[in-house]
Amino acid sequence: MTAFVLKRLGFAVITLFAVLTIVFFIVRVLPGDPAMAILGDQASQAALNALRARLGLDQPLYVQYVQFLGGVVVGDWGVSMVSGRPVIQEILKVLPATLELTFVSLVLGAAVGIPLGVWSAVRRNKLPDYITRMASLLGLSFPAFVSAVLLLIVFAIQLRWFPVISSGQGTTLSDRLRDLALPAINLGLIMAAYITRVSRSAMLEVLNQDYVRTAHAKGLAFATIIWRHCLRNALIPVVTVVGLYLGILIGNSVLTEIVFNRPGLGKLIIGALNQRDYTMLQGMMVIYTLIVVLVNLITDLTYGLIDPRIKYS
Amino acid sequence: MRRTIGLTLIGLAMAGSAHAAGETLNVGMGSADAGKLDPHVATSTPDKGLLHWMFNGLVRIKPGEASPADIEPDIAESWTTSEDGLTWTFTLRQDVDCHGDYGPLDAEDVVFSLNRAADPDISAFADSYAAFESVEATGDHEVTITLKNPVPSLLGLLVPYHGGNIVCKDAVEALGTEFERTPIGTGPFMFEEYQPQQYVKLVANPEYFRGEPQIKEIYYRYIPSDSSRDLAFQSGEIDMIYGKQDQTWVERISEVPGTKVAVMTPGEMSVIHLNMTMPPLDDVRVRRAVAHAIDRNALVEFKGPDVTLAAVSPVPEGNLGYTGDVPTYEFSVEKAKALLAEAGHPDGVTIKAIHTTLPGMLTTMEAVQALLREADINLEIETVEHATFHEQIRKDLSQVTHYAAARFPVADVYLSQFFHSDAIVGKPTAVANFSHCDVADEEIAAARAETDDEKQLELWAEAQRKIMDEVCAVPLVQSLQLWAWKDTLDLGVEVNGSLNLSPPVTEAARFVE
Repeated sequence: MTAFVLKRLGFAVITLFAVLTIVFFIVRVLPGDPAMAILGDQASQAALNALRARLGLDQPLYVQYVQFLGGVVVGDWGVSMVSGRPVIQEILKVLPATLELTFVSLVLGAAVGIPLGVWSAVRRNKLPDYITRMASLLGLSFPAFVSAVLLLIVFAIQLRWFPVISSGQGTTLSDRLRDLALPAINLGLIMAAYITRVSRSAMLEVLNQDYVRTAHAKGLAFATIIWRHCLRNALIPVVTVVGLYLGILIGNSVLTEIVFNRPGLGKLIIGALNQRDYTMLQGMMVIYTLIVVLVNLITDLTYGLIDPRIKYS
Repeated sequence: MRRTIGLTLIGLAMAGSAHAAGETLNVGMGSADAGKLDPHVATSTPDKGLLHWMFNGLVRIKPGEASPADIEPDIAESWTTSEDGLTWTFTLRQDVDCHGDYGPLDAEDVVFSLNRAADPDISAFADSYAAFESVEATGDHEVTITLKNPVPSLLGLLVPYHGGNIVCKDAVEALGTEFERTPIGTGPFMFEEYQPQQYVKLVANPEYFRGEPQIKEIYYRYIPSDSSRDLAFQSGEIDMIYGKQDQTWVERISEVPGTKVAVMTPGEMSVIHLNMTMPPLDDVRVRRAVAHAIDRNALVEFKGPDVTLAAVSPVPEGNLGYTGDVPTYEFSVEKAKALLAEAGHPDGVTIKAIHTTLPGMLTTMEAVQALLREADINLEIETVEHATFHEQIRKDLSQVTHYAAARFPVADVYLSQFFHSDAIVGKPTAVANFSHCDVADEEIAAARAETDDEKQLELWAEAQRKIMDEVCAVPLVQSLQLWAWKDTLDLGVEVNGSLNLSPPVTEAARFVE
């Protein structure tokens, strides 16, 4: 087990290195540069060149690359080229807000999606199944920023239950929940749509297995068969998908954060992209890569919890 | 009854923050976060929109106006100028205090500020102050500025807009790099707090020399999504909102009860620059054909008559030095076709534009494309992302360059940046002359040095006529700045314009019942 984790972490370092290298070169290959973003469009060529020199952008690419990698190794991610504030500080300030949103949405998605998927599989080709399948299809095809605006119109403008601007900074639990509710519902419902579909198909497969018929034959209660025997066996594909879709969830969280005006990585990355803030983009990519790598590791480890027969070697 | 209680509870929850309603102003700005808060460094609209509530200049443009004709005293109570226009002496007010514990403001602070604004290692506006020979404190409250050569509008350089913002020397030196996040000025509102991606909070400056502001707190909130910003205004969470330059926005936001919409100058002027070195646009007849084929009235109608003005001169209407007396090219498809035939293109021409994907600009260009097609001018538009666009047009890659800009409203600025040969893209002195226009160099340079106002205006007018005669560029429309606020907010002045592109919130602003 320890060896397995170490080996995976080793791979993670290689992945990280590859991502960093690619990001470093891609952001610099893109036309446009931070100097223009900082000085505005009235700046003279001379002023732009002077600023580029100050930012170190006039150095040969390989020099910049070596400096950047050296910095990352010792934990120095540099300062934002646009705001001048340390990148790591900027990211860490808003990261908890994004993680909180993603985590709550995931839990919400699973809490709604798994029971619905199971129910739909058990009532296969009956009315509940049709309704669930339609609803989940709707959830899959609805862009996150459209559903977000709809939620705002209904719950913040018409009913006035929630604020339009969710600060994500409430000090009391009820304030925090109030801020979190709409964004989490928005993301959670999309996640639920994915999970419903996967749970349904995984359950259908399990329901046809011999041991399920045996369980019925020996007179086990229906609920026990479904929830104890079938679901546990159906969970592995569900967990895999949840792990994979977490990437999508983080992508959607960018849009959700912007519409609900929550602080988070979303607003940070949009600003950094528009202004070609190289150092900030690099820092964000490290964070995103770390999150994805970690989630994958956790997903793999979860298999062992669900199915004790799985061995890590 | 139950409903009343519910509403009351919600009302209480909404008003729950520190200050009583009526003293806190919530502003919704359309960007994701604050950029730089140092007034000599900040260039973006969202940053500038906040800074002019915190800073003063030696002089200022009357709040609510945007024309240099409305310049009035600010920190300087009076000034004199030498006959050759090269020496300016300003007498400062003695009751100006820096925010916080940084003490009274004197001539040393002003000298420090203006030298800082002229320092290319710090300031984004150093180029504008190149003509400054020296800035000296000639008394505790007297500052003398000596120029190398006359400039078109010295007072314009001293308003709190770009480099003219006066900072407090002790604060800048004590705070070092922190100054960028903790701006200290002398204006009606003081910096209090910055929450990343959320807001900047300002509080009233009790020592403000024009009197303590009636509004006690301002939250300048960063809300990048247009629809969320509108919804937050609708729900009452913000009192003042940065608008989209769009007729439908005006119509929609006006429907929110108790809303006042403001249309402000200076506008952002859209101009199509025609590259005079690339065939077929190297032929003036083709350029004139393009001018004849564009129906400005149709463009105004398309962009929204409440929010746009037609443009006839390469300098925006309302600028000091603008003239409408320039060669014009009335809309006529026949004339356009005839000119093309005369130039040897009876079957029409194809011209190419590299263009940004920014929707506001792109729709304008698509309308132009449709108009030109009527006259057999095929405009091919290659769209690229905005930063890429800025880079490529500066490499002289585009035959037709659509550029939208708002500048300090003195004719010299547009003329120098877009039409003087020094500014031609590709040169080391390049700014934004995309057309390679060089027909009015003499007049532009002479006007800069002219000390007689009448003669200066005539030189500027002549430059505009020459540029339009050669059709270096086709001016399209001016898009005005849009804001809205609750009608319970009284800014204390009539708002027609704002150099910093956000409404003036001064000591006079207050909420009324």
